[in-house]
Amino acid sequence: MSNKKILIVEDDPDVRKGMHVRLQASNYDTFFAADAISSVSEARKHQPDLILLDLGLPGGDGFTVMERFKANPQLGVIPIIIVSARTGHDNRVRAMKAGAKAFLEKPVDNAELLAVIRHALGETENPLVHDVGTL
Amino acid sequence: MKAKALQVLLVEDSAGDARLLREMFSKETPGSVVITHVERMSDALRNLAKGGIDIVLLDMGLPDGHGIDTVRRAQAAAPGVPLIVLTGLDDEALADQAMKEGAQDYLIKGQIENRALPRALRHAIERHRMQAETDLLREQQLQLKDEFLSHVSHELRSPLTAIYQFVTILLDGLEGELNPTQREYLQISLKNIRQLKSMIDDLLEVTRLQAGKSRIEPQLTSIPDLVADTATTLQETAAAKGITLSSDVAPELSYAYADPTRVRQILIILLDNALKFTPANGVAKVHARVFEKDPRFLLVEVSDSGCGIHPEMIEQIFERLYQAPDTGQAGRKGLGLGLHICKELVTRQGGQIWARSEPDKGAILSFTLPIFSIASLITPAFKIERSSKNSVAVVVTELGSETGWLSSGEAVEPSHQVRDALCRCMHSDLDVLLPKMGPAAGTEFFFIVAVTDEIGGEAITKRVRERLAGRDQNQQTGLTYSVSYRLLRSASRNENELMEVYVERMAMKIQEMVDDVISPRVVKNEQ
Repeated sequence: MSNKKILIVEDDPDVRKGMHVRLQASNYDTFFAADAISSVSEARKHQPDLILLDLGLPGGDGFTVMERFKANPQLGVIPIIIVSARTGHDNRVRAMKAGAKAFLEKPVDNAELLAVIRHALGETENPLVHDVGTL
Repeated sequence: MKAKALQVLLVEDSAGDARLLREMFSKETPGSVVITHVERMSDALRNLAKGGIDIVLLDMGLPDGHGIDTVRRAQAAAPGVPLIVLTGLDDEALADQAMKEGAQDYLIKGQIENRALPRALRHAIERHRMQAETDLLREQQLQLKDEFLSHVSHELRSPLTAIYQFVTILLDGLEGELNPTQREYLQISLKNIRQLKSMIDDLLEVTRLQAGKSRIEPQLTSIPDLVADTATTLQETAAAKGITLSSDVAPELSYAYADPTRVRQILIILLDNALKFTPANGVAKVHARVFEKDPRFLLVEVSDSGCGIHPEMIEQIFERLYQAPDTGQAGRKGLGLGLHICKELVTRQGGQIWARSEPDKGAILSFTLPIFSIASLITPAFKIERSSKNSVAVVVTELGSETGWLSSGEAVEPSHQVRDALCRCMHSDLDVLLPKMGPAAGTEFFFIVAVTDEIGGEAITKRVRERLAGRDQNQQTGLTYSVSYRLLRSASRNENELMEVYVERMAMKIQEMVDDVISPRVVKNEQ
């Protein structure tokens, strides 16, 4: 079976690389977009199984990006996980209402990130996210 | 340069006193002081409402107002206008009180020097102006600081993320085996990353609490579980310092009505502090029991055998940015936010927090939390005598997932939305939506309690079904709902039975029913 594909939308190159190394080690193929505009075209090109989306992005924030994805019949079904330095209840509510699968705050614990990804991809049934270690 | 005339409002019902006071201004340049004289509080308030008054001279014994109340009313009518009270010789205690309420000064009748009055007035105005300026500046600075802190704590997260990612990549051996020294050094880095993260979290927490943006959701909370959990979390830190960390909590202790995340946060901060100020071979303990002084509360105590708190500092330790003076302990000071956060969190959950200590004999930090009681939650539903009803309808809504499993993370948002929806379905504002009633894995239950009969129960159930169905048509959420109601009957309350006893009886029936619904679903966390 071929590896699942994950699109990482993140403007910080170091964080992007860190995620890439971590996800690759868990047998995911990764693709990148560093801004709002290229995120949609990269998604079209690679047809990822999952998107990790930052909220603070150049060229339009993560909420705008999510709207664009959700408005597209093909891309709209791809599960989106928010990984952001923006915290707070309001952002969380807004993201979940817009259809995000989960909202993770930076810095994300590795085990939690992987557990949430696996669950969103349907690879695990019971994520029990609250049981994994917290950073 | 011609100065604007000073507008004085003289509130004095004695004609003689008023005349004397007026005469004291006779040496002033004509036109430099305008005195408006009224004899009653009501007239004074009317004048203040019109505006343009620079200062009030207020007698505290008026036909329609007396004592400290006159000061409060005058200040409420014109908060920005300075005020000097006039008192009799034997009234200095009252004058002091007036000063505490915000009066700028007081003058004792019969002891006012002629030339001194205009000067006292001008000084009072100037002092008041400076005070107002300082207050405004302080407020602006605090707000600026909060915005700055919030910004900083966000901006620090990205670089911290990158550091964490690469340190753990190396530690997890993703780039090859490490030798023991390399591993040790990276572990030290990771420990420091965690400290940094917790400081950033504290910064953000304080700004959120300050802005009232912090969410606290009280529910049925097990203190023994939380104590065990936090003690385990910090066991390693304690062991590394050679400190014995123990807990003494009766496992059958009553549940608290509190937000478990917040209680955990409080316990971590208090235990962290205890460990910080306790030397090697010391002890740190957590006790929890019913509060002897008020059995409606639980008391949690965190004690240590550290350096203690100086008696003069015992009140200050809960202030924002307070830091322990040099204690001779090695280590970092931290930001001085922890105990302040604790105090805010405890108070917002209806409890109290305090400290006791003797220098060199350690410190005990205690806080209280209300005991979970269905009876006190449902008491409002019985507020109005609905005498014909001797039954209670409990409408049970179960939120689940089409996949058969709702993870705790996924449930957060729908759970809030369902709560909002249910609130709109309740029949009267006396109906009560119970808080989250304990852990049920993979599903979540909501309970509406209404003092009503079958017809009422049926009606609420129908409304809930319709509203939730309507909600789900708009959004494809993959969520499932099931709604039903149960009727709990109780013998009518006889005349001699106290309302409290009756409510208690109903509360027990509700508790049994809730247990009955939830318990088959409870999955004990084995980890």
